[in-house]
Amino acid sequence: MELRQPSSAEEAVGLLGNGHVALAGGTEIVPLLRDGLLRADALIDIRRAVPRGIHGTTIGAGTTLAELEVDPGIPVVLREACRLAASPQLRAMGSIGGNLLQATRCWYWRLDFPCYLHGGDRCHAKDGRHDEHAIFGNDVCASAHPSDVAAALLALGTMLRTTARELPLAELYRLPTTDDPQTTTLADDELILELEVPIPEASVYLKAMDRQRWSFPIVGVAAARTAGEVRLGLAGVAPVPWTLTSVDDLDRATPLPGTAYKLPIARALVARALRAVATG
Amino acid sequence: MSAPARQLELGRIGEIVRRPDGIPKTTGEFAYASDLQAAGMLWGHTVRSPYAHARVLSVDIGEALRMPGVHAVLTHDDVPGEKLYGLEFPDQPVLAVDRVRYFGEAVALVAAEHPEQARRAAEKIVVEYEPLEQVRIHLAGVGDAFGGREDLSMQIHGALLALHASRPVKMVYNREESFIGHVHRHPARIWAEHRATREGKLVAVRMRILLDGGAYASSSTAVTSNAASFACGPYDVPNALIESTCVYTNNPPCGAMRGFGAVQTCFAAEAQMDKLAAELGIDPVELRLRNALAPGHVLPTGQRIEGSLPVADVIRRAAELEPPPAEELPRDPLRLPGGAGNTTRGEGIRRGVGFAVGFKNLCYSEGFDDYCAARVKLLEDGSAEVHCAAAEVGQGVAGVILQVARTELGIDDVRLAPHTTATVDSAGSASASRMTMMASGAVRDACRAALEERELRGGEVDIERIYRHPRTSPLDPQTGQITGERAHVAFAACAMRVVAEVDLELGLTRVVWIGAAQDVGKALNPQAVEGQIEGGTAQGLGLALMEEIQTRDGLITNASFTDYLIPTALDMPPVESVLIEDPEPDAAYGAKGVGEPPTVVSTAAILSALRDATGLELNRVPVRPDDVVGL
Repeated sequence: MELRQPSSAEEAVGLLGNGHVALAGGTEIVPLLRDGLLRADALIDIRRAVPRGIHGTTIGAGTTLAELEVDPGIPVVLREACRLAASPQLRAMGSIGGNLLQATRCWYWRLDFPCYLHGGDRCHAKDGRHDEHAIFGNDVCASAHPSDVAAALLALGTMLRTTARELPLAELYRLPTTDDPQTTTLADDELILELEVPIPEASVYLKAMDRQRWSFPIVGVAAARTAGEVRLGLAGVAPVPWTLTSVDDLDRATPLPGTAYKLPIARALVARALRAVATG
Repeated sequence: MSAPARQLELGRIGEIVRRPDGIPKTTGEFAYASDLQAAGMLWGHTVRSPYAHARVLSVDIGEALRMPGVHAVLTHDDVPGEKLYGLEFPDQPVLAVDRVRYFGEAVALVAAEHPEQARRAAEKIVVEYEPLEQVRIHLAGVGDAFGGREDLSMQIHGALLALHASRPVKMVYNREESFIGHVHRHPARIWAEHRATREGKLVAVRMRILLDGGAYASSSTAVTSNAASFACGPYDVPNALIESTCVYTNNPPCGAMRGFGAVQTCFAAEAQMDKLAAELGIDPVELRLRNALAPGHVLPTGQRIEGSLPVADVIRRAAELEPPPAEELPRDPLRLPGGAGNTTRGEGIRRGVGFAVGFKNLCYSEGFDDYCAARVKLLEDGSAEVHCAAAEVGQGVAGVILQVARTELGIDDVRLAPHTTATVDSAGSASASRMTMMASGAVRDACRAALEERELRGGEVDIERIYRHPRTSPLDPQTGQITGERAHVAFAACAMRVVAEVDLELGLTRVVWIGAAQDVGKALNPQAVEGQIEGGTAQGLGLALMEEIQTRDGLITNASFTDYLIPTALDMPPVESVLIEDPEPDAAYGAKGVGEPPTVVSTAAILSALRDATGLELNRVPVRPDDVVGL
C-alpha cells in the first residue's frame, strides 16, 4: 500500500478520494484496515496538512487528545471528555478531528455482519443481543456512537472549519438510512481543519462505564451553560453523537429491549449534570 | 550480607522473596513467548471455521502453496498418528477432518516467512507425513496460566508446521483468536434447595448443575465432577443429592479455569446460605460457623477429611477483619461508584457488606495422579544447580524452588537451570493449585538425596527425584462416591468479607474493600501468597461485575479488549489478607496450593455485598448496571 505525505491541506485534498484515505494518528484507521472493514489503495498522511495546537478558542484538528486533556485554557467538559476517552497510549496518538470521525460502535458491524452500514438489508443488533446499543435515532441502525469528545463539543456549540465549508458540529453527522449508510456529511476529499470552541460559564462531563476507567460510555452526558442557557450532548445513545434540545427529549427516546436500562441512567446523569452546571 | 537484603534476594522458606520478574513485567521489558525470535523462523497461522457446525466437504491447498514465502500448508491429512486429542479422552481433531463443531475450530495451518504472507495463504494441499520425533518442551516467558495452560491450543499445530517445514515456527494468537483458540470457564445454570433445622444446622442440600461444555470435552468431566464434589461448600452436610451434567454444544469449548467448577457452585451455595440465614434470623457468619467442615467430617463423596481444613478458623478470622469506616463526602470520584467517569457526588449511593466462604481440592484428583521431578547438582565450588521443569507462569514457582533449595542445602549460591524437559523429567502442569506443592516436594527430596549422596561418596553430586502426592482413585460415575480411600489429595478454604457501594440510580458499583482469610498450610513466600490472593480475587471480581462471553449462533461477538472488559487496577479494592497456617500433613513444609480458593470465593462474596446494598436477588453474574436499574 502506498503512503503519501502532503505538506498542505490543498495538496492533501487533491490526493484524497478514489480509495485514498486520510490518516492522522492512525488509532481508528489502522484497526479498521487490519480487520478488513476499510479498504484503501493509498493512505494520505495528513499530519503536515492539518493544523495542530490550541490558539485561544481555536483548536487545530490535528491536536491530540493528550494535548487537550492537560490544557487549562479549554472548557472543563472537553478536557474531561478527552481525559476519559480510550487509554493514554491512544490519546497520545489520536487527533480530535479523527475522534469526531470515529466509527460508530456495534459488534455486529465490526464482525462484518451484512447490516445496513455494510450495504445489507437489516440491523442484526435488533434481533440479537444489543446491550451496548442505541436509545435514540435507532429506526434503521441501532449502533451507538461512542465519542465522548463529540458529546462535549456538541454541548459547547462547536463550529467546524473544513477545506470546503464552515458548519456547526451537529451538521457533520447524519443518521444512516436504508439506502445511504453514511454517518457523516464529510466528503471523501474534505478535511476537518479547525474547531471553534466557545468558552462556557460552566460545563461538566459525566460518563457511566462498565468499569472505573478505560471503556466506552454506557451513557456519557456533556452539559455546558452559556449565557444562562444549558446545552446537552450525549455519547453512547445513538448511531451519531446526540444533542438533547431539552430534558423533555428524554421522553421521546426509543429504547430497545436490551437498551432500556440506558434510559434511567441517561435521566439520572442529565439531572446530575444540570445540577452541576447550575452552580459550577 | 545484611538481613533485609537477604530477605529480598536469597530468602529461605517462610521469608519474603522479591520476584525477579516483577520489575521487568512492570516496565515492559519481560520477554514473553510472543517476543521469541529465531534464525530462519517462519510464522504459523491457523485457518479457522466460520461456522459453529458444518460438514467439511473438501479442502484445496494448491494455490496457497504457490503463494510467496509459504513453506507449509497442512490439513488433517498431514497429521501423523493420532488425529484426535483431549485431556481426558481424545475427541478433538488436531485439524478438522470432515466436520467442524464450533466457531473458529482449526481447519488448516500455514507457515510462511512473514505473518502477513501466512495470513494471505488461504488454500491448502495434501503433504506426506513422517513420524514425530520425541518432543522436548522448553518454556518461554509466560504471563499467566489460570487453567488455560493445562489444555492444548497451538502446541500440536506449531509442532506439525515445524516438522513439515524443518524450520522454527512461531504462532501468536491475538486477543480475538485467543477467545476461540483457548478454553473458557463453563457457563452454568444451577438450581439449589437447602434444608436446615431451626437452630441453623444443615440437614440436606439438593442441587442440579447444568454446564455448557462446548464442542469438545477437554476437562469437562473433571470440572463437572468438581462442581458436584464442592457443591455444598465447606459445610458438614449429612444428606446431599447433587446432579451435575455437562452437555456438548456448538459453543466455544470450555475447560479448566481457575476454580475448576467450584466457582459456579460456590456462587449458588453461598447465595443460599445468605437466604437461609435471613429466613432463620441467624447472623450469616454464625450460620456458617455452625456448619463449618472440619477434619474427621465426611464429605458428600464419602471421603473422610484426614488432613488440614480449618474452615471455622478461616470464617472467624475473616469475620474479625474490620472494614474501613464509610468515607465522608465529598470524595475523589475514584473513591465513588462510577470511578473516573465522575458520575456522582454522592447521589444514589448505598453501602453493603457481604460474606462468603468456599473451598476446593488441591492437586490432580480422582485417579488422575501425576508427579513432579527435580534434579539437583552439588558442584565442587560449593554452589548448587537445580533442574525442574515446573512452569513459571507468574505464580512465582521459580522463586519457591530456589527458596526450598537454599533452605535444604543451607547455602545461598543456588542457580535454577532453564525450565526444560531436556535435562529433567516432567513436572506436570501449572494448574490445579498443584505446582508449588509438587515442585517444593520434588526439590526438597532431591536436595536431601543429594546431601546424603555427598555424605556417602563425596565429590560432585547429580541426582534426580520424583515426588508423588498421595494416591487417589476415581469417584463412581453413578453414585459420586469414592471408590478407594480418597478422590481428592487435599483441600483449602478461603473466606472473604466485602464492602461494596452501589449507585442505585445508575447501577454502577464500587467494591470498596475486601478482607480475606485463607487456609494456606504454610506460606512459603508470604508476599507471593498475598499476590495470589489479590490476583485470584481480581478474577472473581471480573466474573462478578463484567466478564461474560457473548455469542450469536456460536460466534463470539465481544472477543476484544474493548468489548470484553476485565478489571483494571482501579476496579480492584485493597485486599487485606490473613494467612492461616495449619500445615497439611502430607505436603512438603505443610504448604498448600493457594491460587484457586480466592477465585472460588470472591465472586460469591462480592454478590453478597451487592445484594445487601441493593436489596435485589441478583441470581446471575456478572451484575451489570441493567441488573440494578433495569427493574
